[in-house]
Amino acid sequence: MALLQPTYEANEHLLREMIAVGEDIIDSKDLDLIRENANLNGESFSGKMSKLGSEYAKWYAKHFIMPKSVVRAIEDNYVYVHDLDQYAIGTTNCIFIPFDKLLGGGFNTGNGSVRPPNSIMTAMALVAIIFQSQQNAQYGGVSASKIDHDLAPYVAKSFSKYFRKGLAYFEEEDGVQPEDIRMSNFELQLRYPKSYRYALKETEIETLQGAESLIHNLNTMSSRAGGQIPFTSINYGTCTSPEGQMVIDALLTTTMQGLGSGETPIFPIQIFKCKQGVNQSPKDPNYALFLKAAECSAKRLYPNFANLDAPLNLQYYNPSDPDSEFATMGCRTRVLSDRFGRNKLSGKGNLSFNTLNLVKLGIEYGTALGKRKKADEQGFYHALDHYLDIALDGLLHRFDIQRRQKAKASDFMMREGVWEGGEQLAPDEPVGDLLKHGSLSLGFIGVAECMKALYGRHHGEDEQVYGKALQLISYMRAYCDRKSDELDLNITLFATPAEGLSGKFTKRDRQYYGSLPGITDREYYTNSFHIPVYYEIQAARKIELEARFHDLCNAGAISYIELNGNARSNPAAFLSIVQYALSQQVSYFSINHPIDRCSACGYEGIIGSICPSCGSHEEDVHIRRLRRVTGYLTGDFQTRFNSAKQAEVRDRVKHTP
Amino acid sequence: MNLCGYYPESINEGEGLRASIFISGCRHRCKGCFSPATWNFNYGEPFTLQRQNEIISEIAGNPLLSGISLLGGDPFFSAAEVGSFLDRLYEQAGEVNTWIYTGYTYEELTADPLAAEYALLRRCHVLVDGRFEETLRDTSLRYCGSSNQRLIDIPASLASGQVVLWQPAITF
Ligand code: SF4
Repeated sequence: MALLQPTYEANEHLLREMIAVGEDIIDSKDLDLIRENANLNGESFSGKMSKLGSEYAKWYAKHFIMPKSVVRAIEDNYVYVHDLDQYAIGTTNCIFIPFDKLLGGGFNTGNGSVRPPNSIMTAMALVAIIFQSQQNAQYGGVSASKIDHDLAPYVAKSFSKYFRKGLAYFEEEDGVQPEDIRMSNFELQLRYPKSYRYALKETEIETLQGAESLIHNLNTMSSRAGGQIPFTSINYGTCTSPEGQMVIDALLTTTMQGLGSGETPIFPIQIFKCKQGVNQSPKDPNYALFLKAAECSAKRLYPNFANLDAPLNLQYYNPSDPDSEFATMGCRTRVLSDRFGRNKLSGKGNLSFNTLNLVKLGIEYGTALGKRKKADEQGFYHALDHYLDIALDGLLHRFDIQRRQKAKASDFMMREGVWEGGEQLAPDEPVGDLLKHGSLSLGFIGVAECMKALYGRHHGEDEQVYGKALQLISYMRAYCDRKSDELDLNITLFATPAEGLSGKFTKRDRQYYGSLPGITDREYYTNSFHIPVYYEIQAARKIELEARFHDLCNAGAISYIELNGNARSNPAAFLSIVQYALSQQVSYFSINHPIDRCSACGYEGIIGSICPSCGSHEEDVHIRRLRRVTGYLTGDFQTRFNSAKQAEVRDRVKHTP
Repeated sequence: MNLCGYYPESINEGEGLRASIFISGCRHRCKGCFSPATWNFNYGEPFTLQRQNEIISEIAGNPLLSGISLLGGDPFFSAAEVGSFLDRLYEQAGEVNTWIYTGYTYEELTADPLAAEYALLRRCHVLVDGRFEETLRDTSLRYCGSSNQRLIDIPASLASGQVVLWQPAITF
């Protein structure tokens, strides 16, 4: 332990800290602590249990494990180390799961082995099991980068099964070769019309049922520590085989139908991958599915839209390898490129990320405090370098701990080869160099407030300041690229999805500097490089301004447009906004719009104080108000969000009223 | 002519993203009208030439708009002035797809081809017509409030001499 010769006073102090941490959690005293993560019910028993564990783990890491400079930077509110509770034990962040490999070869969950599935129904059920098996081996998201491609072979298996049944039922002449039984074989359709039709219909039904059970499973299995639902993402949209199209169609249909009583599913995060020539214009094979995705998103907030044609993503695109198609994880993570050649998604992920508080640096070196007339840019960049170095040191120190972990610590992830190459390790072997394919990311928050603090205006208000903001983010990206080369590691720049963080930095900066207008006077800092949610700006303009940052953030970024009004009833508007964002090279995009649900009659749409369908008043019946925060949905924003995020939702200016 | 509301981008008053412009003044006095305050011709701010030009340049500079919507009040009570606003808009931004909401019916508006109302109608593309009938109120309707109201394709109707209903470009 690092505490040399602890004094009696120091020990006393540590003890008091420990006791306070426990009391806050057990008595649900600190609501923001309890609600730090909107996906976790921190007031439940299991939520408290996991909070206790994680708060002590953080405390331990800070006092006994981490480099002092990093702890100092955290305490001074310049740097945030995400998922600090996992630091000391060396867990990694997130992963793209190679579902094709696991389903095709069978796998072992640790409690039993699973054979390759023979039908789409079973395959979909196994997808849920694989997600579940993987999620506790890490702390971030679990993602399927190409679920349509991964599941298509099992649709084919089901089709073949039903077709053979059909031949027997309808006594249609047999003599078909097994390899000829394919959905796309039109001869089959001509020669055995009844069997073909029967098989097609049954396969469709089975795929839909499979998709239904998958979505239900992913919304109900509270199997993650603290009673959380696994943080799952599924990407799809580019598989053009009839089997793959059937998978996509079934997932969208199910999502639109909603859960048990028709409510909007919270998980998985769904991402539709948009690619010209595949699904972007009426002559493209999957165009109808793209329209359906837009419809689904207008009803259910998902899917989001990934832009395979954005330059950042297009450079890795290989039409014959769907694993080279940009996909995302969790709220926005991007791990496509790898300096060691694995320029694809499955079998790796992000290792960890640290976020810089740009606002505090802006306040220190800008005009906001009235200490100077002109921003001290030199001082700012000097300090930025200093904290970039410290944040990177933290990542590297943590990486070292991660590398020393034994394969058996994440048995499913390593021994089953969810992380590529892990299957070759012996249980006691450290994961070591295998992790180098993952990314270490430096994130940032509050470009808007930082600009305001430096120059008095933010990057949405002023053309020149916009240039400064772009310069800042380019500078950080160049730093990451330079360090990648120096250290021979994948160091990437992240537009941090700051959920728990958005209020924390702000609260402490306000305590220190007071309430500075447009800077610390709200309860949160603006996410990454976004134009502030409270700033009135046209949708197209917001898209154009934010688009240029996407190309710089190679660890991931997302842009949103807020719509007020019932997006469901205006598909044309929805579609034109999505396609405009894609055309502006936004890498990852989504539209936020309010979905309210009346618990008396089940009406979903926009509900003021009175339900337009049944006339119930919000004081008499519960109106569930679904909102998106940092990339994923949360049951009811008034009961599950922390106060900073509630404030952000309140402040959102709808880009269309 | 007064302006009682302006949303530079809206998804609620017509297909696509539209600039919605609300003109003060209405004499229909429908029971259950959503905003009786707008009946008054002096309500809101004067829709001066300067304000008109501001709005026109916003519309011309917004690549995401599918068009505009004119509402009120009832813009047909200021038909001549609204007509010249449209002329100015089309001159500067090209012919912009225009939806117009009214308490009059299509038949009433086409009764006199020499009237200012007819001239305004001719410049627009979709007419949402008819008074708001409280007993026919239906929240599930797209782009209108009560089921007696129609969404009419103006050019097609004028060309064929009978009411042709508007059809959406994309349906989900
Ligand atoms: S026409 Fe429209 S504004 Fe006029 S009274 Fe009727 S509902 Fe109100």
